[in-house]
Amino acid sequence: MSSDTTNSKGNNVGLIALVVGIVGIVIALFGFKQGWDNGDVRPIMSWLIGIGFWLSIAIGMLFLTQIWYVFHARWPTIIRRQCEHGMAAFPYLLVLFLPLLAIPFLHENPGLLWKWMDGHNALPGHGTVGEDPLYQWKSPFLNIPFFAIRAVGIFGVFILVSGLLRRWSFNTDTTGDVNNLHNARRLSSLGLFLTSIAMTLGAIDWFKSLEYHWFSTMYGVWFFAASMRAAISALLILCVILAAKGYLKGILKQAHRYDLGCLMLTFTIFWTYISFSQYFLIYSANIPEETFWYNIREMNFDGTRNSWWWVSMGLIFGHFLTPFLCLLWYKTKVVVWRTVLVACWILAFHVLDLYWNIVPGKMVTPDHGPGYLVRQFSISPYDIAALIGIGGICIFAMCRSMKKAEPIPVRDPNILTSLNYTE
Amino acid sequence: MSESYGIIASFPNTPAFFHAAEKVRDAGYKKWDTYSSFPVHGMPAAQGQPRSKVPVFTFCGGVSGFSLGLSIVWFMNAFNYPLIVGGQPFFSPVFPFPIMYELTILLSAFGTLGGMFITNLLPQHYNSLFNSDKFLEVSGDRLVIAIEARDGQYDPVATRRFLEEIGGTDIEEVSA
Repeated sequence: MSSDTTNSKGNNVGLIALVVGIVGIVIALFGFKQGWDNGDVRPIMSWLIGIGFWLSIAIGMLFLTQIWYVFHARWPTIIRRQCEHGMAAFPYLLVLFLPLLAIPFLHENPGLLWKWMDGHNALPGHGTVGEDPLYQWKSPFLNIPFFAIRAVGIFGVFILVSGLLRRWSFNTDTTGDVNNLHNARRLSSLGLFLTSIAMTLGAIDWFKSLEYHWFSTMYGVWFFAASMRAAISALLILCVILAAKGYLKGILKQAHRYDLGCLMLTFTIFWTYISFSQYFLIYSANIPEETFWYNIREMNFDGTRNSWWWVSMGLIFGHFLTPFLCLLWYKTKVVVWRTVLVACWILAFHVLDLYWNIVPGKMVTPDHGPGYLVRQFSISPYDIAALIGIGGICIFAMCRSMKKAEPIPVRDPNILTSLNYTE
Repeated sequence: MSESYGIIASFPNTPAFFHAAEKVRDAGYKKWDTYSSFPVHGMPAAQGQPRSKVPVFTFCGGVSGFSLGLSIVWFMNAFNYPLIVGGQPFFSPVFPFPIMYELTILLSAFGTLGGMFITNLLPQHYNSLFNSDKFLEVSGDRLVIAIEARDGQYDPVATRRFLEEIGGTDIEEVSA
């Protein structure tokens, strides 16, 4: 095999990704610094969007790997290896998360991004966070030390589980010891619980607590569904690129792409089911503590439509209806360019979904009178810089991991089933 | 002998069976089929069969379920007997969603089941192939290709010779 040439190609891609990543991160951090100095939260949210996007892909890959282990799935053996490379990004993502974790400890207003972190922060209407009975009730959970411990624990789970799964799978390549895979399967059955809890806590802490008044029991599942969609789409694009570049040439069959396409359809429906159920329960119950979260995503305080209304409609028609109808067709799932197009489309709207969950917020009016302002939809250059920058580092991590192991798990007992897989 | 239904030929093993099917396809026959007691991967392509039409029935079922759900809620709660529930509007696409969604799934399933019956030409209580004792062994270990007499290219002598050429054994004509 011409492993020398492919490896050097991988080197180049990794190096380019690293350079692009560093440039993007420098630009995004410049925005972060501006926001830090001026007390402007928007450029800091750019960083959170970037982290959220790439973290969701890595989390989805971690879930897919464990689900495949637990169900003893044989067809995705060749794809599992690509997930394992993707999961190499977790330690880097922890480092990239640190600027956000620094806000409560180093900034003069600890509640710059997560406003509950500072009791002096004014609330729309009247009062401050510290005087808010809802915050007082939630303070045993929502306090800075516990938040920091949780953040470390959440990343600890991701890094530990993904690290062990990677080590065992790569070890099988060299030793052929099947016990590695038994261990991986055992760990996965526990790890699915651990990762689910860690992911739910992460979604609650980092995204939901931006509006700490609001509560939804569906939120963790929403993030799971969104992560799976993003991971499957990213995985499909990755596999197609690897097949075109020679790593998986002749290995990635139409049947693999078709099944990933089916999973993409499944999680498109699942994401919609979860997102709609969350909306529907809050709509039916009609309690102000919950409905305000959707209100600000639809209208301003005076009831006029705001920019988020269009984004919401964009999510319904762009993130659900369009990919759903496209993926119903068999041809969409087997014709390469169509599948890749739908996967890119889903990833683009996944970013929009993150915007929709992170950016809108109630802001105090300038005279601190009744009512509130809604932070409107905008795409800042720092968003793009953060997405590209953090993505560059993640891709660098993946390319680095690719040099450590075979392109497919060559000595996995299921490899032949996966190689000969047909629809 | 009564009118002929077609000719059947048996094949000794799956690869021979599979490649014979490809040859029948390439020879341009249309009214023919392969019979085995287990699924052979890739056989639909070897037979030159297009994709199944069942998804079309499923889709039609789903669309009618969706619109049925939408219209019954609109008719009952907004038109025939306008009713205020929980301070919500008489009609909105939001609250009938569970019904629309359930009916979409239900009628998609009905569409799939019905479509499967229709495209498989079921129920079919009689098939002339059962007149052949050799054909009955298909449920055991026999692999059979049958070319029907209603095929435009069918010729009792030429088709029999063709089946012999592609490796068929136990060739026999089945009466209708």
